[in-house]
Amino acid sequence: MDSSSIKTLDELKEFLYRAMQLEHATIPPYLTALYSIKPGVNQDATQVLRVIVVEEMLHLTIAANILNAIGGKPDLVRPDFVTSYPASLPDGETDFKVGILAFGREALATFLKIERPAQRPEHLVGKGLIYRKTPPDITALASHPMHEDLHFYSIGEFYSTIAEGIKYLEAEAHGAGTTIFTGDRSRQITSEYYYSGGGELFPVTDLKSALEAIELIIEQGEGDGGGIYDDNDHELAHYYRFEELVKGRYYQKGDQPGHPTGPQLQVDWEGAYPIKENLKVGDIREGSELREAAIAFNTRYGEFLRLLTRAYNGQPSLLLEAVPMMFEFRNMILELIRNPLPKHPGKNGSPTYEIQGGIKQPAVTWQAEVNA
Amino acid sequence: MLFPLESAIKADAETVAASDEYDIVIVGSGISGAIIAKQAAEAGKRVLILEAGTGANSTLAGYDNLLTTFYSAASKDNQSPFPLNANAAIPRSPQLRKLQAGETDSSSYIVQSGPYVSDTTYTRIFGGTTMHWEAKTPRLLRSDFKTRTIFGQGLDWPLSFEEIEDDYRLAEREIGVSANVEDQQYLGQTFPGDYVYPMRGLPLSYLDQQVNKGIEGTSVELYDKTYPLKVRPYPQGRNSIPNPAYDGGKGYRPIGAVDTHQVEEGGRCQGNTNCVPLCPVQARYHSGKTLAKAFAVNGKRGEQLVELLPQAVASKVNIDPDSGKVRSLEVKIYKDPASPAHETITVKGKVFVLAAGAIETARLMLASGLRSTSGLVGRNLMDHAYLLNWALMPEICGTMRGTSSTGGIVDLRDGPFRERQAAFAIDIHNDGWGWATGAPTSDLLELVDDRNLYGADLRHGMIDQVSRQLLLAFMIEVMPLESNRIAVDPQYTDALGNMRPILSFTVPEYTMKGAAYGRQFARTVFARLGAQDHTQYNPSDFGYVAYEGQGYAIRGGNHLAGTHIMGTTKTNSVVDKNQRSWDHENLYLVGGGSMPTIGTANVTLTLAAMCFRSGRDILKSLH
Repeated sequence: MDSSSIKTLDELKEFLYRAMQLEHATIPPYLTALYSIKPGVNQDATQVLRVIVVEEMLHLTIAANILNAIGGKPDLVRPDFVTSYPASLPDGETDFKVGILAFGREALATFLKIERPAQRPEHLVGKGLIYRKTPPDITALASHPMHEDLHFYSIGEFYSTIAEGIKYLEAEAHGAGTTIFTGDRSRQITSEYYYSGGGELFPVTDLKSALEAIELIIEQGEGDGGGIYDDNDHELAHYYRFEELVKGRYYQKGDQPGHPTGPQLQVDWEGAYPIKENLKVGDIREGSELREAAIAFNTRYGEFLRLLTRAYNGQPSLLLEAVPMMFEFRNMILELIRNPLPKHPGKNGSPTYEIQGGIKQPAVTWQAEVNA
Repeated sequence: MLFPLESAIKADAETVAASDEYDIVIVGSGISGAIIAKQAAEAGKRVLILEAGTGANSTLAGYDNLLTTFYSAASKDNQSPFPLNANAAIPRSPQLRKLQAGETDSSSYIVQSGPYVSDTTYTRIFGGTTMHWEAKTPRLLRSDFKTRTIFGQGLDWPLSFEEIEDDYRLAEREIGVSANVEDQQYLGQTFPGDYVYPMRGLPLSYLDQQVNKGIEGTSVELYDKTYPLKVRPYPQGRNSIPNPAYDGGKGYRPIGAVDTHQVEEGGRCQGNTNCVPLCPVQARYHSGKTLAKAFAVNGKRGEQLVELLPQAVASKVNIDPDSGKVRSLEVKIYKDPASPAHETITVKGKVFVLAAGAIETARLMLASGLRSTSGLVGRNLMDHAYLLNWALMPEICGTMRGTSSTGGIVDLRDGPFRERQAAFAIDIHNDGWGWATGAPTSDLLELVDDRNLYGADLRHGMIDQVSRQLLLAFMIEVMPLESNRIAVDPQYTDALGNMRPILSFTVPEYTMKGAAYGRQFARTVFARLGAQDHTQYNPSDFGYVAYEGQGYAIRGGNHLAGTHIMGTTKTNSVVDKNQRSWDHENLYLVGGGSMPTIGTANVTLTLAAMCFRSGRDILKSLH
């Protein structure tokens, strides 16, 4: 077993926390791109983005279910939970940043990278994690909690490590006549509270359901490399949905990756408001209405994460209250996106997603936990 | 599920005309046709559905175009999303005008004579009237099936509630009804011990709760009997929370949106309030969802078993004079909704199903010269009579929040009083006075034009004016009357040369008695709520009816029924209890038109249940 594998339950919990952080990290960029689209144009892109946002929320909830299953406590209000944008993601050898920007070619290129099924090139196979020093102001998503400068080659590898960790720890527990799945069943979020986007929530209670849950996250995102649809043949992976927009054509059953043959679709690359990339509240003129609106949004978003945290900690019915909040977000984001940014001619406002400062917290909390 | 591409479901007129392989030919893609098509396909039968509309809204983009049309329409009536199509014209209430007795108006699609003008509508488009229905899905009460025996009114069904109960459950499954059994156990409605609806009941709106607070614990007296009042939730055909206990613990999986590319599925009701005419997220059931499942069924050789031929207006039913069986349908295929140019094809099949709605099915029968032994085709037309009562609540109570209607006062749906006057169910409308006065557009115009408000004052003015609006819509029972009818006349034709429906309707005395009582009832409720009554019926209103010295504006409920009534013999009815024509062995006339009474239940759930029954009978007749 190499040094990067998961050997304790606390390590596994920290990995799953980071999985939730990772799943959440895609929501602000997708949501912003979605609402940056001008009314009346890009109907297809709007639908594609919308359903992907919904599925990312599903993934976030699935990760919470796995964490709950092993007795962890999902925490979306930990100071480093919401990343500061731009943030870096494991994506093969070439580093790239996930940022908040308007819908357009550049945003879509990033989204494709986020969802890309990354396979190690031959010379790197079996070489373990990749060493890469992350600048202190950049959040490295899906990084290794114990080795901050060692990176996974891909999101797939990150999840494989989690799956291996679960198998290892459960086998170990099994040997001792126990199980790691000791979580309170009533904390599981089930499909009663969540259905949409073709995905379905199921309770995670044992090794089998935990591995299925991880599989679902990977397949819906990147696809499994084997085909563009999931194993039930009704789910198109996110990567291929974004590709449909680039190629201007829908996939249909029987298509080969990269070659959609369905009906054509139209993308208006100019059909989005020109928002300023990775805007920070500090960039907006003090005293302006836009600044107030940006702060108000961040405050409300913080409340949303607090509500989700309570929902994931034994009060699943609170998820129903999160729905009207999503409508509030749409209105608040539109207000930011459709108004000009003072002192930045030609640029509009944007949500900043600086939640509780969005300051990256060194992994001290976790270290303290393992040392204890 | 991944729905087939639009191109895959559409048939080609030439191929259809040349084919003699269809087991079943269905006219209309509404819920009746959809249920029978799905059932037949699952049994391996080949089905052709003829649809008068363009079928464009079978795709998500097409559906969204309807929404765009609706959002930009100046008049938000229940047909405003649907494009004009003279080849498959539909009635629209804004086109109606007051008529004098004996005066005939043929300027809109349905020809009507005064003095009473009905604003009844239905939709000729892919999905039929489920494209604009409100999706309330109460069952008929046991007594509604035998009103003649119990109350000496109307007609008895040839079926009892017990005989249709299993099919009610199938219909509730197909529609994906959201309701809680405990809320529906009133007036003797019972459910098997383990029954749960597919989805949990939607919550009562804040407005419902405020009304309930004012009336719960009070009661009304009617002919010496006391009826306690409370607001009860309606069962609804829109997605809420799937009930995990459904189907013996298997749960229920909601059906998503019409969608060829899987971009959005399984929308949950978001309380958008514009359920009528069109749900923006397809949380509300429409028959496209059932059809999507039907289109997905493949035969033994992998071929799709259900085909759709759009822009196909069935124009004549051809009968074999020897056997009395239907030989074929004459169908007019138009190329463009903007032009009457068309070709006529003949479509053959083993069984024919007319599922075009109570008015169009009767119209087609009559236009084909098929008058039936009983002479009842087109007669006994029914639609609920709606009496609107509106008032301002003393406090802001969140009008415009929630779906169109979540609850109502339904305890007067039944009682011994039905020997003398009509029963009613009262819908509380979450969309304010819209139906009665055109609110909130009318409020906006008033605030801007008459009171010169703008900016924050205008916003506050709107909130104050609209969020206290309470509309009680009394849905009053109408019994079958042979003189209430649909007829045809060659002097009134449409763009394709098909005869248009002529509607003759009077609101029966039994119903007007219920309406008069309803008006008093509304006053009582408003008084208990401390609400200010703003109800006014204008004698120039097209639906104005005078009764015992008082005037009432009666609206149609679009719950059409009765025109090919179901009964026990070929002399007292048009169809048997399987909705098979007594006179034409391989012809089924399905839908609301078969219903002998409509009680106080919206008709869709019941007619959907009956179509499951007919579907089985059709399959039996095909072996």
